Amino acid sequence: MSTLHVISHSPFTDSRLESCLRICGSEDAILLCGDGAYGLHAPALLTRGVKVFVLAEDMLARNLPLPDWADSVDYPGFVQLSIDYDKVNSWL
Amino acid sequence: MKFAIALFSAAHAPSSRRALLFAKAALAGGHEIVRLFFYQDGVYSASNAIVTPQDEQDIARQWRELVSAHQLDGVVCIAAALRRGVLNHEEATRYQRSAVNLEAPWALSGLGQLHDAAQAADRLICFGGP
Amino acid sequence: MAKSLLVISRQAPWSGPSAREALDIVLAGGAFDLPIGLLLLDDGVFQLAPHQDAKAVQQKDLSANLQALGLFGIDDVFACSHSLAARGLVHSTLAQPLDSAAITQLIDRYDQVITL
Repeated sequence: MSTLHVISHSPFTDSRLESCLRICGSEDAILLCGDGAYGLHAPALLTRGVKVFVLAEDMLARNLPLPDWADSVDYPGFVQLSIDYDKVNSWL
Repeated sequence: MKFAIALFSAAHAPSSRRALLFAKAALAGGHEIVRLFFYQDGVYSASNAIVTPQDEQDIARQWRELVSAHQLDGVVCIAAALRRGVLNHEEATRYQRSAVNLEAPWALSGLGQLHDAAQAADRLICFGGP
Repeated sequence: MAKSLLVISRQAPWSGPSAREALDIVLAGGAFDLPIGLLLLDDGVFQLAPHQDAKAVQQKDLSANLQALGLFGIDDVFACSHSLAARGLVHSTLAQPLDSAAITQLIDRYDQVITL
């Protein structure tokens, strides 16, 4: 079973990403959206080695460059991710 | 694929707009939305009393239009709604409140509808927070 | 066969209605005899702290709801041991402590998850 974790809080003010990284599995992925996109600057994501996606509009709005270890998705891509992974865990 | 979409944030939250765009993309992709279930502050996304400046996105109105256009089952949790002052005509009368800010296409119901939707769907997706 | 749902509650007992509303989801599922689990994570473990006095802040006591879970057929109640330790809490008899690796496996076992 694989889980798509969705993070919309900035990792610089909130601990959700940190907790997510502590408990996510090797087959899981993380989708950064909203202020979660600032996670592209968070070194912890790179070192953890989990697959990372970012919602394109949030990356563009914040003028965040896309690192080579992350992929950007649009809304159809977001829908597809929710199908590709067995379940979605949004860190509300 | 069948989706159950639960929303936990108000219309002004970016996550409410994000949920709306996800729902639209799912429908455009030929998928089915079994139910929209609004819980916690998500009940505010169903309010008909929201006044949005003309140069901003009226997300509450767009939710109403989506539900009507696709005849979706749009359910608002009654306990969460009452606690937050989101009332339909029946509840406003019952509790003698002067404002009615929830109407069709939204229906008030219990958490059983969230569980029912989760059972019927292939995927349960929640939106909330910022 | 019914789909199983894990509710992950991350909020302290009185930081708004979140902790109570997470429990309401769990109890509603139990009332329908659905396979539901509850994991207390991060500040959610504060719901297990002993001798709290809800009345001091004119709130409802959530520990009664936690204790009632068994009556609703909800026996799968867990707490993150890392979160407990970070907050200086010893584990409670109300929840089975799990380390991070066990939580990874726990989430894997459920069909759906809601984290609030």
